[in-house]
Amino acid sequence: MDVKYVNPFIVGMQNIFNMLNMTSIQRTGLAKREKLKTDNEVNIIIGLVGDLKGNVVISLPDSTARNIASTMMGGMPVPELDMMPKSALCELTNMVAGSSMSQLEQMGVAVNITPPMLINGRNMMTMISQVETLVISFNCNEGKLEMNIATE
Amino acid sequence: MSTVQIGPFVAATVSVFKDMLDTDIVKGQPEAEGDSFVSRGFTVLVGLTGGWEGWFLLDMSQETACTFAGAMTGEDYESVENEEVLYAGAEIANIISGNAITVVNNAQPGLNIRLAPPSVFAGQGMSMFNARLSSSSVLMQSNAGPVKINVAAREGK
Repeated sequence: MDVKYVNPFIVGMQNIFNMLNMTSIQRTGLAKREKLKTDNEVNIIIGLVGDLKGNVVISLPDSTARNIASTMMGGMPVPELDMMPKSALCELTNMVAGSSMSQLEQMGVAVNITPPMLINGRNMMTMISQVETLVISFNCNEGKLEMNIATE
Repeated sequence: MSTVQIGPFVAATVSVFKDMLDTDIVKGQPEAEGDSFVSRGFTVLVGLTGGWEGWFLLDMSQETACTFAGAMTGEDYESVENEEVLYAGAEIANIISGNAITVVNNAQPGLNIRLAPPSVFAGQGMSMFNARLSSSSVLMQSNAGPVKINVAAREGK
Protein backbone atom coordinates (compact mmCIF):
# COMPACT_ATOMS: atom_id res chain seq x y z
CA MET A 1 0.00 0.00 0.00
CA ASP A 2 1.25 3.42 -0.96
CA VAL A 3 2.13 5.51 2.11
CA LYS A 4 0.51 8.62 0.68
CA TYR A 5 -2.90 6.95 1.02
CA VAL A 6 -2.50 6.47 4.78
CA ASN A 7 -2.81 10.08 5.84
CA PRO A 8 -6.35 10.59 4.46
CA PHE A 9 -7.55 7.82 6.77
CA ILE A 10 -5.88 9.37 9.83
CA VAL A 11 -7.26 12.81 8.95
CA GLY A 12 -10.74 11.33 8.34
CA MET A 13 -10.73 9.68 11.75
CA GLN A 14 -9.57 12.83 13.52
CA ASN A 15 -12.05 15.06 11.65
CA ILE A 16 -15.06 13.00 12.62
CA PHE A 17 -13.99 12.44 16.23
CA ASN A 18 -13.40 16.17 16.64
CA MET A 19 -16.77 16.92 15.07
CA LEU A 20 -18.47 14.54 17.51
CA ASN A 21 -16.84 16.28 20.47
CA MET A 22 -14.27 13.56 21.14
CA THR A 23 -11.41 16.01 20.72
CA SER A 24 -8.99 14.02 22.89
CA ILE A 25 -8.30 11.64 19.99
CA GLN A 26 -4.61 11.13 19.29
CA ARG A 27 -2.72 8.82 17.02
CA THR A 28 -0.46 6.62 19.11
CA GLY A 29 1.06 4.24 16.61
CA LEU A 30 1.37 2.93 13.10
CA ALA A 31 2.45 -0.62 12.42
CA LYS A 32 2.12 -3.58 10.12
CA ARG A 33 -0.31 -6.18 11.39
CA GLU A 34 1.54 -9.37 12.23
CA LYS A 35 -1.02 -11.62 13.86
CA LEU A 36 -4.55 -12.68 13.05
CA LYS A 37 -5.79 -12.79 16.65
CA THR A 38 -7.46 -9.71 18.04
CA ASP A 39 -8.40 -8.85 21.62
CA ASN A 40 -10.99 -6.37 20.44
CA GLU A 41 -14.57 -7.57 20.72
CA VAL A 42 -16.09 -5.02 18.34
CA ASN A 43 -15.09 -4.66 14.69
CA ILE A 44 -16.83 -2.47 12.15
CA ILE A 45 -15.94 -3.13 8.54
CA ILE A 46 -16.36 -1.08 5.39
CA GLY A 47 -15.35 -2.30 1.93
CA LEU A 48 -13.57 -0.10 -0.63
CA VAL A 49 -14.01 -0.49 -4.38
CA GLY A 50 -12.56 1.71 -7.08
CA ASP A 51 -9.06 3.16 -7.47
CA LEU A 52 -8.34 1.60 -4.07
CA LYS A 53 -9.73 -1.89 -3.45
CA GLY A 54 -9.77 -3.34 0.04
CA ASN A 55 -11.33 -3.14 3.47
CA VAL A 56 -11.14 -0.81 6.43
CA VAL A 57 -11.95 -2.08 9.92
CA ILE A 58 -12.34 0.01 13.03
CA SER A 59 -11.54 -2.36 15.85
CA LEU A 60 -12.15 -1.57 19.51
CA PRO A 61 -12.67 -3.20 22.91
CA ASP A 62 -16.23 -3.45 24.21
CA SER A 63 -15.55 -0.74 26.82
CA THR A 64 -14.34 1.81 24.25
CA ALA A 65 -17.29 0.94 22.01
CA ARG A 66 -19.78 1.62 24.81
CA ASN A 67 -18.03 4.85 25.86
CA ILE A 68 -17.97 6.20 22.30
CA ALA A 69 -21.64 5.29 21.76
CA SER A 70 -22.47 7.01 25.03
CA THR A 71 -20.65 10.21 24.00
CA MET A 72 -22.39 10.13 20.62
CA MET A 73 -25.77 9.79 22.32
CA GLY A 74 -25.26 12.83 24.53
CA GLY A 75 -23.79 11.06 27.54
CA MET A 76 -26.59 8.55 27.94
CA PRO A 77 -25.24 5.51 29.86
CA VAL A 78 -24.62 2.47 27.65
CA PRO A 79 -24.39 -0.59 29.92
CA GLU A 80 -24.77 -3.01 27.05
CA LEU A 81 -24.00 -2.93 23.34
CA ASP A 82 -27.50 -3.37 21.96
CA MET A 83 -29.12 -2.08 18.78
CA MET A 84 -28.90 1.67 19.41
CA PRO A 85 -25.18 1.84 20.27
CA LYS A 86 -24.40 -0.58 17.43
CA SER A 87 -26.21 1.72 14.98
CA ALA A 88 -24.30 4.68 16.38
CA LEU A 89 -20.95 2.91 15.87
CA CYS A 90 -21.90 1.90 12.32
CA GLU A 91 -22.78 5.50 11.59
CA LEU A 92 -19.48 6.69 13.10
CA THR A 93 -17.54 4.31 10.84
CA ASN A 94 -19.56 5.41 7.83
CA MET A 95 -18.73 9.05 8.59
CA VAL A 96 -15.03 8.30 9.10
CA ALA A 97 -14.89 6.38 5.81
CA GLY A 98 -16.85 9.12 4.03
CA SER A 99 -14.50 11.80 5.31
CA SER A 100 -11.44 9.73 4.38
CA MET A 101 -12.82 9.16 0.88
CA SER A 102 -13.35 12.87 0.32
CA GLN A 103 -9.71 13.47 1.37
CA LEU A 104 -8.67 10.82 -1.15
CA GLU A 105 -10.84 12.37 -3.83
CA GLN A 106 -8.90 15.62 -3.47
CA MET A 107 -5.82 13.58 -4.40
CA GLY A 108 -7.63 12.33 -7.52
CA VAL A 109 -8.38 8.89 -6.09
CA ALA A 110 -12.03 7.86 -6.57
CA VAL A 111 -13.32 5.16 -4.22
CA ASN A 112 -16.80 3.77 -3.53
CA ILE A 113 -17.60 2.41 -0.09
CA THR A 114 -19.99 -0.31 1.06
CA PRO A 115 -22.38 0.20 3.98
CA PRO A 116 -20.79 -0.65 7.36
CA MET A 117 -21.26 -3.98 9.12
CA LEU A 118 -20.51 -4.48 12.82
CA ILE A 119 -19.12 -7.81 13.98
CA ASN A 120 -18.84 -8.59 17.66
CA GLY A 121 -17.68 -11.75 19.41
CA ARG A 122 -15.01 -13.25 21.63
CA ASN A 123 -11.55 -14.77 20.96
CA MET A 124 -11.66 -13.51 17.44
CA MET A 125 -9.30 -14.05 14.55
CA THR A 126 -9.69 -11.62 11.70
CA MET A 127 -8.20 -11.58 8.24
CA ILE A 128 -9.18 -8.32 6.62
CA SER A 129 -7.59 -9.03 3.28
CA GLN A 130 -4.97 -11.39 1.94
CA VAL A 131 -2.60 -8.50 1.51
CA GLU A 132 -0.55 -6.60 4.09
CA THR A 133 -2.66 -4.89 6.72
CA LEU A 134 -1.74 -1.61 8.33
CA VAL A 135 -2.78 -0.84 11.91
CA ILE A 136 -3.16 2.76 13.06
CA SER A 137 -3.70 2.98 16.82
CA PHE A 138 -5.56 5.82 18.46
CA ASN A 139 -6.25 6.83 22.02
CA CYS A 140 -8.97 9.09 23.35
CA ASN A 141 -10.79 9.73 26.63
CA GLU A 142 -13.26 7.01 25.63
CA GLY A 143 -10.46 4.45 25.43
CA LYS A 144 -8.17 2.79 22.93
CA LEU A 145 -9.13 1.90 19.39
CA GLU A 146 -7.43 1.02 16.14
CA MET A 147 -8.03 1.29 12.44
CA ASN A 148 -6.98 -1.59 10.22
CA ILE A 149 -6.46 -0.80 6.55
CA ALA A 150 -5.83 -3.39 3.85
CA THR A 151 -5.76 -2.29 0.23
CA GLU A 152 -4.65 -4.24 -2.80
CA MET B 1 -36.25 -7.30 -2.66
CA SER B 2 -34.01 -9.39 -0.41
CA THR B 3 -35.24 -12.85 -1.49
CA VAL B 4 -34.74 -11.83 -5.13
CA GLN B 5 -31.17 -10.79 -4.33
CA ILE B 6 -30.13 -14.03 -2.70
CA GLY B 7 -31.23 -16.31 -5.58
CA PRO B 8 -28.09 -15.97 -7.74
CA PHE B 9 -25.88 -16.47 -4.66
CA VAL B 10 -27.69 -19.72 -3.79
CA ALA B 11 -27.18 -21.05 -7.33
CA ALA B 12 -23.50 -20.00 -7.30
CA THR B 13 -22.91 -21.62 -3.89
CA VAL B 14 -24.35 -24.95 -5.03
CA SER B 15 -22.29 -25.01 -8.24
CA VAL B 16 -19.02 -23.83 -6.63
CA PHE B 17 -19.22 -26.45 -3.88
CA LYS B 18 -19.95 -29.08 -6.52
CA ASP B 19 -17.18 -28.05 -8.94
CA MET B 20 -14.46 -26.99 -6.52
CA LEU B 21 -15.00 -29.25 -3.53
CA ASP B 22 -16.99 -32.09 -5.06
CA THR B 23 -19.60 -31.59 -2.35
CA ASP B 24 -23.34 -31.83 -2.87
CA ILE B 25 -25.32 -29.18 -1.08
CA VAL B 26 -28.98 -29.41 -0.16
CA LYS B 27 -30.43 -25.94 -0.20
CA GLY B 28 -33.22 -24.63 2.01
CA GLN B 29 -35.69 -21.79 1.57
CA PRO B 30 -34.83 -18.09 1.77
CA GLU B 31 -35.84 -16.47 5.03
CA ALA B 32 -35.73 -12.88 6.26
CA GLU B 33 -32.92 -12.26 8.73
CA GLY B 34 -33.48 -8.83 10.33
CA ASP B 35 -30.59 -6.65 11.49
CA SER B 36 -28.48 -9.25 13.31
CA PHE B 37 -26.97 -12.37 11.80
CA VAL B 38 -25.75 -14.97 14.30
CA SER B 39 -22.59 -16.73 13.17
CA ARG B 40 -21.72 -20.40 13.60
CA GLY B 41 -18.09 -19.42 14.28
CA PHE B 42 -16.52 -18.78 10.88
CA THR B 43 -17.77 -16.09 8.51
CA VAL B 44 -16.42 -14.68 5.26
CA LEU B 45 -17.69 -11.23 4.29
CA VAL B 46 -17.62 -9.81 0.77
CA GLY B 47 -18.66 -6.19 0.27
CA LEU B 48 -20.90 -5.12 -2.64
CA THR B 49 -21.01 -1.65 -4.20
CA GLY B 50 -22.65 -0.18 -7.28
CA GLY B 51 -26.23 -1.22 -8.10
CA TRP B 52 -26.45 -3.19 -4.85
CA GLU B 53 -24.71 -1.91 -1.73
CA GLY B 54 -24.16 -4.30 1.13
CA TRP B 55 -22.59 -7.61 2.05
CA PHE B 56 -22.53 -11.25 1.08
CA LEU B 57 -21.82 -13.56 4.03
CA LEU B 58 -20.73 -17.18 3.90
CA ASP B 59 -21.07 -18.74 7.32
CA MET B 60 -20.23 -22.15 8.79
CA SER B 61 -18.73 -23.73 11.90
CA GLN B 62 -14.95 -23.69 12.40
CA GLU B 63 -14.85 -27.48 11.99
CA THR B 64 -16.71 -27.25 8.67
CA ALA B 65 -14.28 -24.55 7.50
CA CYS B 66 -11.32 -26.81 8.37
CA THR B 67 -12.89 -29.70 6.43
CA PHE B 68 -13.45 -27.59 3.30
CA ALA B 69 -9.95 -26.10 3.51
CA GLY B 70 -8.60 -29.65 3.74
CA ALA B 71 -10.61 -30.66 0.67
CA MET B 72 -8.99 -27.80 -1.25
CA THR B 73 -5.37 -28.33 -0.23
CA GLY B 74 -5.27 -32.03 0.67
CA GLU B 75 -3.94 -31.31 4.14
CA ASP B 76 -5.48 -31.82 7.58
CA TYR B 77 -6.35 -28.74 9.59
CA GLU B 78 -7.28 -28.90 13.25
CA SER B 79 -8.10 -25.28 13.95
CA VAL B 80 -8.78 -21.99 12.23
CA GLU B 81 -5.60 -20.64 13.80
CA ASN B 82 -3.92 -22.01 10.72
CA GLU B 83 -4.19 -19.11 8.31
CA GLU B 84 -4.56 -21.40 5.31
CA VAL B 85 -8.07 -22.19 6.56
CA LEU B 86 -8.89 -18.48 6.45
CA TYR B 87 -7.38 -18.14 2.96
CA ALA B 88 -9.40 -21.12 1.72
CA GLY B 89 -12.64 -19.72 3.14
CA ALA B 90 -11.93 -16.33 1.59
CA GLU B 91 -11.28 -17.93 -1.78
CA ILE B 92 -14.51 -19.96 -1.75
CA ALA B 93 -16.61 -16.87 -0.89
CA ASN B 94 -14.75 -14.80 -3.48
CA ILE B 95 -15.55 -17.28 -6.25
CA ILE B 96 -19.19 -17.69 -5.19
CA SER B 97 -19.83 -13.95 -5.04
CA GLY B 98 -17.90 -13.38 -8.30
CA ASN B 99 -20.06 -15.97 -10.11
CA ALA B 100 -23.27 -14.60 -8.61
CA ILE B 101 -22.70 -10.96 -9.50
CA THR B 102 -21.58 -11.88 -13.02
CA VAL B 103 -24.99 -13.50 -13.54
CA VAL B 104 -26.81 -10.49 -12.06
CA ASN B 105 -24.76 -7.92 -13.98
CA ASN B 106 -25.29 -9.79 -17.27
CA ALA B 107 -29.04 -10.05 -16.68
CA GLN B 108 -29.34 -6.40 -15.70
CA PRO B 109 -26.83 -4.32 -17.68
CA GLY B 110 -26.18 -0.98 -16.03
CA LEU B 111 -26.49 -2.38 -12.52
CA ASN B 112 -22.71 -2.69 -12.40
CA ILE B 113 -22.27 -4.37 -9.01
CA ARG B 114 -18.65 -4.57 -7.89
CA LEU B 115 -17.02 -6.61 -5.13
CA ALA B 116 -14.61 -5.68 -2.36
CA PRO B 117 -11.97 -8.30 -1.43
CA PRO B 118 -13.18 -10.94 1.05
CA SER B 119 -12.40 -10.71 4.76
CA VAL B 120 -12.69 -13.50 7.28
CA PHE B 121 -13.84 -13.42 10.90
CA ALA B 122 -13.65 -16.41 13.21
CA GLY B 123 -14.53 -16.46 16.90
CA GLN B 124 -17.04 -17.36 19.56
CA GLY B 125 -20.49 -15.87 20.03
CA MET B 126 -20.11 -13.73 16.92
CA SER B 127 -22.94 -11.74 15.45
CA MET B 128 -23.04 -9.37 12.48
CA PHE B 129 -25.12 -6.25 12.73
CA ASN B 130 -26.19 -4.21 9.71
CA ALA B 131 -27.81 -0.81 9.79
CA ARG B 132 -30.92 -0.50 7.61
CA LEU B 133 -30.13 -3.19 5.06
CA SER B 134 -32.59 -5.72 3.75
CA SER B 135 -31.19 -9.08 4.82
CA SER B 136 -32.11 -12.66 3.98
CA SER B 137 -30.47 -16.05 4.45
CA VAL B 138 -30.55 -19.55 3.05
CA LEU B 139 -29.44 -22.46 5.20
CA MET B 140 -27.82 -25.34 3.31
CA GLN B 141 -26.65 -28.78 4.34
CA SER B 142 -23.40 -30.38 3.23
CA ASN B 143 -21.74 -33.60 4.34
CA ALA B 144 -19.27 -31.49 6.36
CA GLY B 145 -22.03 -29.65 8.23
CA PRO B 146 -24.45 -26.78 7.69
CA VAL B 147 -23.46 -23.79 5.58
CA LYS B 148 -25.48 -20.57 5.66
CA ILE B 149 -25.35 -17.72 3.21
CA ASN B 150 -26.72 -14.26 3.80
CA VAL B 151 -27.15 -11.25 1.55
CA ALA B 152 -27.72 -7.92 3.29
CA ALA B 153 -28.05 -5.14 0.75
CA ARG B 154 -29.94 -2.12 -0.46
CA GLU B 155 -30.29 -0.63 -3.92
CA GLY B 156 -27.39 1.67 -4.68
CA LYS B 157 -26.98 4.65 -6.92
